[in-house]
Amino acid sequence: MKPLRFDAAANQPPIGSGADSASAPISSGTNLWGKAEALRRLGGDEDLLRELCRIFLEESPKLQEKLREAIAHADPQAVMRAAHSLKGELGYLGADGPLQAARELEDMGHGNDLSRAQETFTFLEKELASLHLVMQDFAGARA
Amino acid sequence: MNVAPSAEVPGSASIAGPSPPDSVLIAEDDPVFRRVLRGCLQKWNYKVVALENGLDAWTALQQENAPQMAILDWMMPGLDGVELCRRIRSQAHGSYKYVLLLTAKGAKEDIVAGLEAGADDYLTKPFDLNELRARVRSGKRILELQAALVKAHADLQFEAAHDHLTGVWNRGAITDLLQREILRSVRSGEPVGVIMADLDHFKRINDSYGHPVGDAVLREVAKRLLGSVRNYDYVGRYGGEEFLIVLTACAPSSLNMTAERMRVHVGEKPVDTAAGPISVTISIGSAAQCLGNPDQRGGEGLVRAADSALYAAKAKGRNRAERAPEDVAASPAHAAVAP
Repeated sequence: MKPLRFDAAANQPPIGSGADSASAPISSGTNLWGKAEALRRLGGDEDLLRELCRIFLEESPKLQEKLREAIAHADPQAVMRAAHSLKGELGYLGADGPLQAARELEDMGHGNDLSRAQETFTFLEKELASLHLVMQDFAGARA
Repeated sequence: MNVAPSAEVPGSASIAGPSPPDSVLIAEDDPVFRRVLRGCLQKWNYKVVALENGLDAWTALQQENAPQMAILDWMMPGLDGVELCRRIRSQAHGSYKYVLLLTAKGAKEDIVAGLEAGADDYLTKPFDLNELRARVRSGKRILELQAALVKAHADLQFEAAHDHLTGVWNRGAITDLLQREILRSVRSGEPVGVIMADLDHFKRINDSYGHPVGDAVLREVAKRLLGSVRNYDYVGRYGGEEFLIVLTACAPSSLNMTAERMRVHVGEKPVDTAAGPISVTISIGSAAQCLGNPDQRGGEGLVRAADSALYAAKAKGRNRAERAPEDVAASPAHAAVAP
């Protein structure tokens, strides 16, 4: 199984197209979600992956909110913690698109330098929005 | 782990066991990982306690029957995995805990720090389930080995202190226990009572029915003696057909009653043996500790006094209990009314 790819040509709104994940929305990344890798890690258990996606869909907005606040309050420690958690989940679920941005934010927090945090966060939010749509399709849950 | 020095059911070398090595505690604040860990471990037939933070995990691990294996996330609010690990290791008592630490990928320094804090193994995120399964299984193997060792040790301790035939304390152990109880009584002010019980005409049983039947009688008598004392008293086999019973916190006035209860309990029903029912009786000599004068009635003195009383019981026709005369000779404290 190859990781799902999303390119600019497939820019379709996902509403009403739940069964066909290839028509999911796009983002700038090439590998938004390596579902195959996540599945391999879970020993091919699709149901478990679906459930994890549902948990992620519920939990990641909270982490996003924490990140947003931490950046607004210029709190590098809090940025590091929230980005670390998000990074762990994204890594586990094989979501390489937003993963890189989360990793950068964690490093910024760690290095006490939030000068570029807002910019990276904006990018991360966009990636996450795309990821959420794809995952909703797969997990059969609408936010 | 010490074998509990109390009246035990013969032959039971059991110790209060920790929970079996197939229960696992998970401390992970991230809901995705918590779900993966819990779901998979349950699927592999582990019993799982899944908690969201280190402090709750620490509390749960203090409980009796807490899981022996803990999977701890490195980064958690409140108490992180490494600190938790350090706390677990600083606790000297309780069963061994196998700790598997979860760290972020490639954090070499974290791994070293974790192992130094006492973790047994680690797993880096994102882990595959096959790896998780293999590591948990190897932890389980270690815990099983550990449990087997602890049990072997406890069995040996039990054997070293118990009489093989009857399962009650052996002579060395009951003598030690008596000594210890006497020391304790000096501090607590609660006197110790000693009973010597001897089977009447036991040689006849051996001679008429053979030793295996004699052994069965001894086992049953030991059981009846155990059944007629409180569970904080001690019953030991002192010699061939002679038992020594140590009664803790025993008011001298209740000693006669206990002795009589024993005598009746042993003799009231015949013992069922391979050679049919055999009636047995015991003769008893008892002695009470004179707290005012510990020199006079230490362990040896008490046993000697009980033994003389036993001799008197035999001389007066057996199947009876005699009390050693109160030793009034020396102790001025004896005359005083106890508070």
